[in-house]
Amino acid sequence: MKAIFQILLLFFLTTVPALALDMQQLVREVEQQYWGVSSRARVTMEVRTANWQRSLEMESWSLGRERFITRILKPAKEKGVATLKVDNEVWNYLPKVDRTMKIPPSMMGGAWMGSHITNDDLVKGNKIDEEYSFTLLEETEEYWRVEGIPKPDAAVVWGKIIYQIHKATRTPQVVEYFDEEGIRVRRTLFDQLTPIGDRILPMRMEVIPDDTPEEKTVMLYRQIQFDVDVDESFFSLRRLKVRR
Amino acid sequence: MILWKLAFRNLRRNRRRTLLTLAAMVASSSLLILSLGVFSGMFVDMLASVTEQYSGHMVVAGKGYLDRREMHATMDQAQAVTEQASRLETFRGASPRLRSFGLLSLGDRTQPAEVLGIDPTREIQVTQLHRKLVDGRYLDPDEDHGIVLGVGLARKLRAEIGSELVFVTQAADGSIGNDLMTVRGLFDTGSVANDNGLALVPLHWLQETIALPDQLHEVAITLKDPLQAKPTAAVLAGRLDDRLEVRDWGQMLPEMAEVIASYGASTLILSMILYAAAGLGIVNTLYMSVMERTQEFGVLLAMGLHPAQVRRLVLLESTVLGVLAMVLGATLGFFLTLWMKTVGIDLSGSISSITYAGGTILPRLHAEFEFRNFWLPSLLLLVTAVLAGWLPARRAARLQPVEALRED
Repeated sequence: MKAIFQILLLFFLTTVPALALDMQQLVREVEQQYWGVSSRARVTMEVRTANWQRSLEMESWSLGRERFITRILKPAKEKGVATLKVDNEVWNYLPKVDRTMKIPPSMMGGAWMGSHITNDDLVKGNKIDEEYSFTLLEETEEYWRVEGIPKPDAAVVWGKIIYQIHKATRTPQVVEYFDEEGIRVRRTLFDQLTPIGDRILPMRMEVIPDDTPEEKTVMLYRQIQFDVDVDESFFSLRRLKVRR
Repeated sequence: MILWKLAFRNLRRNRRRTLLTLAAMVASSSLLILSLGVFSGMFVDMLASVTEQYSGHMVVAGKGYLDRREMHATMDQAQAVTEQASRLETFRGASPRLRSFGLLSLGDRTQPAEVLGIDPTREIQVTQLHRKLVDGRYLDPDEDHGIVLGVGLARKLRAEIGSELVFVTQAADGSIGNDLMTVRGLFDTGSVANDNGLALVPLHWLQETIALPDQLHEVAITLKDPLQAKPTAAVLAGRLDDRLEVRDWGQMLPEMAEVIASYGASTLILSMILYAAAGLGIVNTLYMSVMERTQEFGVLLAMGLHPAQVRRLVLLESTVLGVLAMVLGATLGFFLTLWMKTVGIDLSGSISSITYAGGTILPRLHAEFEFRNFWLPSLLLLVTAVLAGWLPARRAARLQPVEALRED
């Protein structure tokens, strides 16, 4: 009897956390696909709203999860506008006035470069696997649906996140974001799976807000290279101003 | 006629008593007039803090803008609106404006701010911010990169006159609108919202920076009589095209409108409380004087004066007292109010300004004249005097001549 109990106990102690960790690991893996150790990319961002639409061509670099720099190449009017992210802070460089501006905490929820991506997404997006606990919702031949609920003490933006992850490539297909009331706020769709080096990544990302479904932001990776030669000093305010 | 004579003689006979009663009545009515004047002053301050420091008495905007302040809900009928507005009877001024919410930064300090694009020559007809400057100067009409901001905002940015601020916001075409601005002046209005978050910039500069050439968000209008804003707004709305809407300050600030509406009721209640006390004093004095004159009334009644005439006599006394107190009280109240209006009492040493119902109460006691503040207390004083005379009058009329004569 006692032996059975011990076995049962052992079973609970080992398997339950192991399962949860699995989901955590899965989401981390999915998120990291994009970040790698370091990367350099050329991205086209198209933003469509009820009142305007525009297309930006940008160049960006990243190092680990904490450092990220991006600079607008086109259109000419906005050429040189750049964003630097280091840890939890975001700066914008504005060539017209030759100033860098740190985004204050109150504006972190604001749009980044006029898109449907917020400054918070840049800062917190890469920490999702640390700040949420994930459970499996659904599993099919093709994908897993994984639900992320914020950990008790985590300072997060979303009340719930649901990932739909493609099994074969371990890439996201759809990510849905919910507020505290459980109402979906926006979703991100991924497609155009393309092999890059030893991984397969979706090259197209579409962010669709739910309150204005006619609006969207499309990010299209034109080129992406991983493990490029950049170090921490590259991601500095001084560097932000350099025009290339 | 004989009754009048008797009434005046009776009042004169015991001067000290008459003067004391009169003094109590004059004091209560003049002080009430003064306090109502101070109330009016407070409301005028509050209303002015909102309308003359920011919104104007009426605002014309494209339909939908006023509810959501959505950047793209612009209008371009400045000319037509100004023209129609200037034909209004109580029109004082109209100012076309464009508004942007963005970030102002200096060095590594950044603050969110509401940036209001204005035409300085027109804006001074609507708001009084140019009179609230504590440093520097107002915007020049032909200025390009000048900015005038609230002291609180300047303090947070550590900006001073001549500082170069960066303004960044999302422009109407989705790009990042940004430019450098030189601080020209700082205003201190006492309103936390304005002082900590408002900045004035040239209209044409803002139109260009946020990519909304020739567009406006609103035309703010001031009237000579702010209390006429509601009917005037309706008149103006009828004359403008239906893509525009007009709102008066009462609609923009419902709490403030309620406070002012409830003011009428509070005035009445306050008067009644004050006069209930004064009325008891008058009853007391008149009662005493009737008691003292019991024998006298006995004589009058014995001589054939009708009880109704005796009653009238006492009532006449209190009425004469009432009228006298009314005139003197109103006169004294007028001068007290005048003094409070021109000199006032500065309380800024002990309290700071209070924001209430969207308006700001300045740390000062200061009065404003309003006709109602005079006629209401005066009329109520008279009514109180007559009512207070009623009880002693009834007693005097009910006296039995024989018993009254015997009393000593």
